[in-house]
Amino acid sequence: MICFLAYRVGLTLPLLLGAAVVIFLAGHYAPGDPVQVLLGDHYTPEAAAHMRHDLGLDRPFVVQLAAYIVHAAAFDFGVSYVNPARRVRDIVRQTLPISVRLAACAVLLATILGVTLGVGAAVYPRSVVDRLIQIGVIAGLSVPSFVTGAILVLLFALRWRLLPVAGWGSPQAAVLPVIVLAAAPLAYITRISRASVRQVMTEDYVRTARSKGLRAPAVLLRHVLRNAALPIVTTVGMAFGYAITGAFVVEVIFNIPGMARVAVDAILQRDYTIIQTAVLVYTTLFVVINLVVDLSYAFLNPRVRY
Amino acid sequence: MRARGTRRPAILRLLGQDRPAACAAGLLLLLVLAAVVAARLTGYAYDHQDLDHPFRGPEAGRWWLGTDQYGRDLLTRVLYGARVSLAVGSSAVAAESVVGVAWGTIAGFYGGRLDAALMRVVDLLIAFPSLLLAVLVTGIFGASLVNIVLALTMTAWPGMARTIRSEVVALRERDYLEAARGLGASPARILARHLIPNVVHLLGARATLDVSALILNEATLSFIGIGVQPPRPSWGLMISESFQFLQSHPYLVVVPATALSVTVVSFNLLGETLSEWLDPKLRQRTR
Repeated sequence: MICFLAYRVGLTLPLLLGAAVVIFLAGHYAPGDPVQVLLGDHYTPEAAAHMRHDLGLDRPFVVQLAAYIVHAAAFDFGVSYVNPARRVRDIVRQTLPISVRLAACAVLLATILGVTLGVGAAVYPRSVVDRLIQIGVIAGLSVPSFVTGAILVLLFALRWRLLPVAGWGSPQAAVLPVIVLAAAPLAYITRISRASVRQVMTEDYVRTARSKGLRAPAVLLRHVLRNAALPIVTTVGMAFGYAITGAFVVEVIFNIPGMARVAVDAILQRDYTIIQTAVLVYTTLFVVINLVVDLSYAFLNPRVRY
Repeated sequence: MRARGTRRPAILRLLGQDRPAACAAGLLLLLVLAAVVAARLTGYAYDHQDLDHPFRGPEAGRWWLGTDQYGRDLLTRVLYGARVSLAVGSSAVAAESVVGVAWGTIAGFYGGRLDAALMRVVDLLIAFPSLLLAVLVTGIFGASLVNIVLALTMTAWPGMARTIRSEVVALRERDYLEAARGLGASPARILARHLIPNVVHLLGARATLDVSALILNEATLSFIGIGVQPPRPSWGLMISESFQFLQSHPYLVVVPATALSVTVVSFNLLGETLSEWLDPKLRQRTR
């Protein structure tokens, strides 16, 4: 177990390093000259050469790459391209917690509801409830979040005026974003829970438990759910991924000052340092989520030893 | 040839049994037709503005679905949006299939270290949420249609490669491959004549499901503003352009949103029916 832990944690380092290299390359070969953007109307060849030197852009390629990685490892991402007065690190520090909190709420909601619905559908297969849940799952996976968002805003914010249209800060303002963000993960978790529980229910030991007279709820809790938990846990990890990227849409719709919104604004303004940092931050988040999922997998399943 | 002769009625029979999938197939066929003849159908160009008549309601013979904030015909734009979505979706799926099948068959066929190395790359890319990869590509290199297709391809091929590889690994030890090898067939011939034809059925089902995912991703990119660029219409872009008029003119959002959702649901339904039908294990159980 210790060995596996060390191996799995060790695996993340080359992964992150590789991601940093790719992100640096993407920024390096991106169209457009940063110096020209920064200088704007003051562009002269001398000023450009001077600035290039100040920014370290005249150094050899490998040195620039190494410098980028060393700085990134120390959470120093430089300054914003468009607005050099702002440090990217501070932007991340202000906005990332908002995105993570939003995603966490959505995943929590999706997990609780999704597991309940999925187990319910599996316990009463081919019933009306099951059919309805199945239709809901297909809708949840097919209808894009900005459409769900539009419908909910139209009904709850504009027609009935129950909740604010957009904004961030009050608990009411978070209700619609969390629901919109939770929709796709909810469908996904429901589908996997249903499949997983149904599969476990066909196992011999479940029949044995039933035939020895154990009541249905006890069978479900003690025998079925424990064995069906593994794929569900994996899915919850993946749902976190969905929720984090779903924020790209939700933060734009609801005008939430999170990391995804900053990234979208940066893309529209071609603010490369912020784009690179955002991708790097998200990559790190994903690597960590995958790590946690893998570790929980090994922890939950005594049969699997790596 | 004989395979085709027996397969086609089987597909029709399958659609006869599965009403939702049949509806989905019919809808998609209509959509493709409408997208192809788009301009002939309505008589407007997608960027033709008529600033004297913005926000008009539907009027038969003139604007079948009304006009948007610039007086552009909504029906024309929805149809051109279908064209963009279908074109982007299907070219990305085509590219994804080529890369995914090549990668998957080579990894599965040769096995060993090469397999391990190739599949690590796939694992790495699958771990990433697809939207993030797409955002990186179109965000840094610009949102031309080619870049959008490239970005979507990049997000989708690892899944395809994994599906194909697992099938190839299962096929590798079959007797007929052994026989081909015994007869002295070259690896290239075995790949081209024996392995790839036998994974095509998986390809079909998976590609149909992927079209829906990719159309959804394209719409999302366009909605955020880093996908299809105006004045070219895309369903996602139309929704984002009209979002501010949600209260006063909700149909401007509702129409493209419906088109998008119906298309995606149809591809999903069709894809699921196909994969159920094409998977021999599931087929035995359902029949």
